[in-house]
Amino acid sequence: MKNLISLDSLTDIVSNSVGILIIFAVINLIHDDNKTYQLEIPLEHATDLSPAFFISKNDRVLALDTDTLFANAALQATSGGATNKRLFNLEYSGLLGQIDDEKGISFFARDTSEWPEFAELEKRNSDLRKKLDKLDPKKQFAYFFVYDNTEDGSSSGSGFEAFRKAREYLKRHSIKTGWQPVNSDSPANICDKSFSRRCVYLPSYLGTGNINSGNTNTTDNGEKR
Amino acid sequence: MSMSRATRYARYRQDDKLEISLFPFLSIFLCVMGVLSFINVLSSYSAPQKIELSAQLETGYKIAYQIFSLPDGIITVPPIKNLHKLQAVVNEDDKAVIDVILQQREQLIEKLENHTGSIMNAAVEPDVDDILDTVRDIRTLNEIALKANYLYEEFILFGIYPNGSQAYQKIRDVMTLTPDSVAISIGLEPLDSNWTLSLKKKGQSSK
Repeated sequence: MKNLISLDSLTDIVSNSVGILIIFAVINLIHDDNKTYQLEIPLEHATDLSPAFFISKNDRVLALDTDTLFANAALQATSGGATNKRLFNLEYSGLLGQIDDEKGISFFARDTSEWPEFAELEKRNSDLRKKLDKLDPKKQFAYFFVYDNTEDGSSSGSGFEAFRKAREYLKRHSIKTGWQPVNSDSPANICDKSFSRRCVYLPSYLGTGNINSGNTNTTDNGEKR
Repeated sequence: MSMSRATRYARYRQDDKLEISLFPFLSIFLCVMGVLSFINVLSSYSAPQKIELSAQLETGYKIAYQIFSLPDGIITVPPIKNLHKLQAVVNEDDKAVIDVILQQREQLIEKLENHTGSIMNAAVEPDVDDILDTVRDIRTLNEIALKANYLYEEFILFGIYPNGSQAYQKIRDVMTLTPDSVAISIGLEPLDSNWTLSLKKKGQSSK
């Protein structure tokens, strides 16, 4: 019984595996120390397209229907509910609004539980997908206000991943995207260019589906900047 | 037929020869294998990736001025590469201007390279005057290159880390105050906290 199972060959195999793993670990260590990833970033550029606004927070994306939002805000403003930078309910997916002379309308996103999750982009006929599909690449581009706060233990901003996925989806559908980071202190805001030079919303990511076929530094009219 | 004592002893030893059990070795090896596999998988997922920002297109003569926006402030990585070449084709006055900018940038890079500990802790609060100076320098260099008909254009690329939007917004706000920023192209990208900036190329180019 004692000599029934020989461990010789098994020990041989395992010791070889350990050796290979050690080599892998050393290679990984050397490789990671030397490797630098080149992150290619498109530049913001002038456009004749009009922005369709989205807020990305907590892995969810909310499409902003500006007509409804502005109508609700105007209603609050005329009834006196929006005076002295007071926060008011916009009756729109839990958004609170604030009217400011410099920033226009700011949107405070506190409760995002009603917002569609970015994973819905994978599902056909999801509401989020329908809203993105509605965008006309010849007239519109998508502009995202992306929350940069971190969830516990996450290495990414709460809206980063949802923005990246939506951007990828829109790129495949030939729709340009632009973005800016926001947080709870400086939330998303929409204002007119006449207020401030900060009230400019520009696309940067091309919607060609082929990044090499476009020119990031030309306007949509082909005019060189 | 009786065997001698020595022969008997030799026979006894031969039958009962020393056998080494491989089981403890095997168990140690398996433990080491498990630990190494775990470390390898962990390092491939969580090891900081060194990154360098560049423009998606037209990378030939477009040079990125990288600004990383972190919760504690910003880390600026100005470009040095190609500035010497630009210096070689411009007139004496412009050479002197480029020299001053080059020296300032080399000092900045040197300071970053000499920073002890994680480079991500080298972030400083963005100063309004520094931002205005940076934007003015970029405009000056672009104008000098244009005047000399030399293909060289600097632009600003922002890497936004989690909770890093405040510093970015401050810089963009300050940039609206100066006409120097009007002609400067800008790009921005969200970065995860395990992506760390690379200074290697800059260090090599500055030597």
